[in-house]
Amino acid sequence: MTFFFLILPPLLAALIASLVRPYRALVGWIGAWLSLISLGAAFGFVAQVINGQTPTWGLKLEWLNLDEVLRADSLSALLMVCVTAVAALALFLSPGLGPPIQNPHWGELAYRPNQLRRYHVFINLFIAAMLLTVSANNVGVMWITIEATTVFSAFIIPLKLNKASIEASWKYIILCSVGIALAFVGTVLGYFDFVSLSGRAGNALNWTVLFANAHSLHPEVVRLAFVFLLIGYGTKAGIAPMHTWKPDAYGESPAPLTALMASSLFAVAMYALLRWKAVADATLGSGYTNNLFMVLGLLSLLIAALSVVLATDYKRMFAYSSIEHTGLMCLGFALGPLGTFAALLHLVNHTAAKSLMFFLVDNIEHKYRSPLIEKTPGLLKTMPWTGALFAFGLMTLIGLPPGGIFIAEFALFRAGFALKHPWLMGAALALLAVVFVSFIRHLNKMLYGTPSAEEINTERPTERFSWRIALLLINVAMLITLGLSLPAPLQTLLNQSVGIISK
Amino acid sequence: MNDSLFSQLSTLGSSVILLLGITLLWRKSLHAYAGIFRWQSAALTVMFVIIGYFGHDPELYVVAAVLFILKVLVLPRYLERMEKRFGDQRELQPYVNVVTSLMLSGLLVLLAYVIARPLVLVSDLPTRGGLPLAMGLVFVGLFVVITRKNALAQIVGFLVMENGIALLAVLATFGIPIIVELGVFLDVLMGFLVMQVFVYHIHSTFESIDVDQLNELKH
Repeated sequence: MTFFFLILPPLLAALIASLVRPYRALVGWIGAWLSLISLGAAFGFVAQVINGQTPTWGLKLEWLNLDEVLRADSLSALLMVCVTAVAALALFLSPGLGPPIQNPHWGELAYRPNQLRRYHVFINLFIAAMLLTVSANNVGVMWITIEATTVFSAFIIPLKLNKASIEASWKYIILCSVGIALAFVGTVLGYFDFVSLSGRAGNALNWTVLFANAHSLHPEVVRLAFVFLLIGYGTKAGIAPMHTWKPDAYGESPAPLTALMASSLFAVAMYALLRWKAVADATLGSGYTNNLFMVLGLLSLLIAALSVVLATDYKRMFAYSSIEHTGLMCLGFALGPLGTFAALLHLVNHTAAKSLMFFLVDNIEHKYRSPLIEKTPGLLKTMPWTGALFAFGLMTLIGLPPGGIFIAEFALFRAGFALKHPWLMGAALALLAVVFVSFIRHLNKMLYGTPSAEEINTERPTERFSWRIALLLINVAMLITLGLSLPAPLQTLLNQSVGIISK
Repeated sequence: MNDSLFSQLSTLGSSVILLLGITLLWRKSLHAYAGIFRWQSAALTVMFVIIGYFGHDPELYVVAAVLFILKVLVLPRYLERMEKRFGDQRELQPYVNVVTSLMLSGLLVLLAYVIARPLVLVSDLPTRGGLPLAMGLVFVGLFVVITRKNALAQIVGFLVMENGIALLAVLATFGIPIIVELGVFLDVLMGFLVMQVFVYHIHSTFESIDVDQLNELKH
């Protein structure tokens, strides 16, 4: 039953948003409050899995075998929280919740009612699709919903139509559709191998069934299938060299969507990949997938480090930071149970940190007239709250304590050295140092100095503490808590999740 | 006897579908693209019916019907409508010329044979002969997406790739579970619709649908 409370609220919100025309602020508020029901359901799942239960839901009709089509184990529950928490934050900070705008103020661009309506329909559908992905047991359903996230988000990346946003969304939709199609080839090959061994069964696409029979699958077919899946879902997760859509799409979408894509969507794509990695590992032993993850992880780090050095636009800079963290997590998932634990902890922290950053970037974008780093000086003076939080978030992202990413990266490197990969870890550390230095350089340019009058948007009032800032303090509190301690329920959840994907 | 007929038919059908895909590489008008996609989808529908008949699976008839409506009737019509609106430049200028394209596609099919070898060895289905051909079609579709500069041609390339995957799925497993199959069709339809919206946007913003003008975003 909890599945309904998880998935129906965003669907309901999308329905309401599509029926009410023209758009009213009430619609946005209903969607935002409904998202709290999903969040509650996600915590309900966490409580259940920590108690050792595995909730499932299925439908068995004569012509339709949907046995155990939805299933929530620890890994799913972890992802559900990551998705619903960012979704709630994004919906409360969405455009269109205030009164209709005369002069642009905090957190809002002057969108027209039809644009706001489209935004609220598709962002909720997008969230629902992600929630279905992480609750799906059937790998076919998982694929369908991930492809659906591409389509839904492509509708709202160009909320304001201009050359740059159209270019970004065209690249996004073509690259991700093609990538995801390749992931389907991999899914079909996995199913094919299972069917040629055990005959056709309606529930053979269920992950639990595949996983239970993984040891008897043919290694050569699984190897091939995994390469397709890695390219496919890797495109969606933005692992190099399939990352090229990321800076464009992150740079051009509305901020709440960027926050969702950078934190939740990335995590969801990674989740699908991890499910298949578990199956492939059970067939092949973990060496094969680990090597692939290491190579692509290091490549992502390399490309991200070089791009951050050259970055001139702060939104794109954070897209490169996403690629960097993708690379680090890939390395973690390749380093056995210890590394997997570190990578999952990293995933949770990254979700909090990246969503924080993209909402702050949105504030900055509305205050200054240019997206260029060198044209946004004096953040601390013009926007004291945003500036301070921005500095905190950025330092967390580059791995400084007390942010939780510090602990995660520390655990990652400990796992790497314990498993005797000194060269790999040394290279990763060197690249991290490059990222570190260039981020500090960019941050210095943005925090200090005095902006000239034509660089800032003087129509906007000076920033004061408001509930929107207060919401972002939740992320800050989470990051600091995770940096100082590891709460027992989270530790149990992470340990159980590690047990699922890494033997 | 029945099995050998079945296996001959499936290999023949797959070859026809692959050849139609390769035809894309030397046609230069958008009109031809829509037509080729329609014929290829029709051939694919026939394959589904054949496999449904020999494999005794009535579900495949349902899938074939949906496929016929979606990919033979609906999508090509949309493509033709867009082609009438935007197809004023008759000649498509791909990044790679025809001769090279054809040679590369030959290599891609060869590559598909190498990659699909383990599949053919593992399978004991009478349809296994067509597996490398389906894999080849996936690669040819991918190749069209990468090398065409025209947004519509890229869409057709994507649809051809989808056809390749559908063919692969039906040859390898006699059809994936119907609920997944229908979900995939829904995704293809939605993906197509959103791409179509973008073709209109690209045309009204850039005044042509050549995507090599989309090169402003850097660093």
